[in-house]
Amino acid sequence: MAIERANSTHTEPSQFREKYVDADGFHIRYLEAGTGAPLVHFHGAGGLRLSRSHERLAQTHRVILFEVPGFGNSPTNERFESIEDLGRTMTEAITHLGIDRFNLMGNSFGGKLALWTALQVPERILSLVLVAPAAILPDNHVQDALTRRLSTPSRTELEARMASFQPAVLVVWGTDDRMIPSEMGRVYVEKLPTAFFVLLYDAGHEADADRPEAFADLVTEFIERGAGFVVNRRSGVVHP
Amino acid sequence: MQWALEQFSMADDLGFDWVTVAEHHFSPFSLTPNPMVMAGALTQRIRRAKIALLGPNIPIQNPVRVAEEFAMLDTLTGGRVVAGMLRGTSNEYVTYNINPAESRGRFDEALQIIRRAWTEPQPFGWWGRYYEYRSISIWPRPVQQPHPPIYMSGSSPESAELAARNQIGLGFAVTSVPLASKSAKLYRQVANEVGWSPRPEDVIYRVGIHVAATDDQAFDELQSIPADGATRLSRANPVIDDAVAQAGYYGRDREHQQSRAMLNRGAEFADKLRDGQQLAGSPETVMDQICNVHHELGAGVLDLIFRGPDRDSTRRSIELFANKVLPRIHELN
Repeated sequence: MAIERANSTHTEPSQFREKYVDADGFHIRYLEAGTGAPLVHFHGAGGLRLSRSHERLAQTHRVILFEVPGFGNSPTNERFESIEDLGRTMTEAITHLGIDRFNLMGNSFGGKLALWTALQVPERILSLVLVAPAAILPDNHVQDALTRRLSTPSRTELEARMASFQPAVLVVWGTDDRMIPSEMGRVYVEKLPTAFFVLLYDAGHEADADRPEAFADLVTEFIERGAGFVVNRRSGVVHP
Repeated sequence: MQWALEQFSMADDLGFDWVTVAEHHFSPFSLTPNPMVMAGALTQRIRRAKIALLGPNIPIQNPVRVAEEFAMLDTLTGGRVVAGMLRGTSNEYVTYNINPAESRGRFDEALQIIRRAWTEPQPFGWWGRYYEYRSISIWPRPVQQPHPPIYMSGSSPESAELAARNQIGLGFAVTSVPLASKSAKLYRQVANEVGWSPRPEDVIYRVGIHVAATDDQAFDELQSIPADGATRLSRANPVIDDAVAQAGYYGRDREHQQSRAMLNRGAEFADKLRDGQQLAGSPETVMDQICNVHHELGAGVLDLIFRGPDRDSTRRSIELFANKVLPRIHELN
């Protein structure tokens, strides 16, 4: 099938291929491209979409974009009562693809799922990238039915678990996010031992689609260098 | 520079609300290429008035440094700093080798970085178009919370819109009341569209002033000042100004903006007074002129450049203004 990219007038054919994996009784659709260290991605509540940033990331990594059970054309998923259950299913799917350790990234609702998944298997996480994650929300935030149903465990339990999470975490937020205010990024820095909060200027809630090149370059550098990313290693020489 | 410091002290002693310093390069017109240094000196002299920096030219500076220096000044003054953010005149872009075509993009982004650097309680990175920081954490924090009042210059329509969208104050300089009124109208219109209403103190009008006992004395003294010649900013460097203009510095009303710098040149003295390009006269006349600016522009802040033919007449002008005009302005507000 044709694979369409979000927010893009780019006409080059996608390098991503549609595939399926069975896990925990689900037949899970995913898109895959590239070789190298695995980068697993969980989409937001709007469902699976591909952006130019994914194409760019696939130039250096094996990128796998899962369609979470209950989204897209998959059957309605009424099995889970907590986000942890869903995280276990996704971990099993990753295992079935033959992947041991991996970089994990999630947008919005997918950021929440990515965080809970990572907290369950921290020893398998190379790095964690949360893009405008919906794991900790402002008090007045309105959620849709599915994400509301997956609102357990509580924020208190989440924060307690975050305090002992060792891998480096990148929290990316568009400065023009109208869905979840970028000020929420500071909470992750407070609660996680090694988190970097980076504002992506002139980008909205779907930061990866709004500034794909900038986003991909940021994520590439982070997953390659981890906490070392905080130091700019580019040369300032103007005329060698 | 010592003369400038003396005037600042006079202003503080005489009850003026603020003193201002600005950043300019490449000409002997304004000898504060780093206004932060001058403001640092003022923190040790000015005990009461606010210190307004109108301001650093943020597109040619490191915005994190600007945020840090403002926070330092705010701490040194106990919260009496006013933070003007300027794009600068064309000559500044040559001094620091920055492409003037990118000045608005850099300004917009730098403004957001500075604001965020003051308000984010945790370290944060910035992945921008012109600026990249891996982790920003500024200390000290500003005394004024969430941050010092911010103004930007707004003679062009782009600037008026940007100020309105960012909910910050707008300042006019080197212009006339009719021209500034046009921008002020746009500023208020866009502000209303995005859901806020500027107050009088959100609009600054900067203008030269000379006060004497009578109108005739003030006019005569003012007209006896020789022309500036080749000492003033972009006007003194037409080749640079043209090159910078061609690079796209001036935006969508380039001709108007470029000619604005020439406003004072060749204009009849009476026209300048009529259009509010210059305030001059007895205290009563000057008060009338100020009421006109207030009425036409809605400006709640006047940033006055006192300049007479010599230091004595300038001192007298400052004192006359402070004694006879300033109390009436305070009543007006």
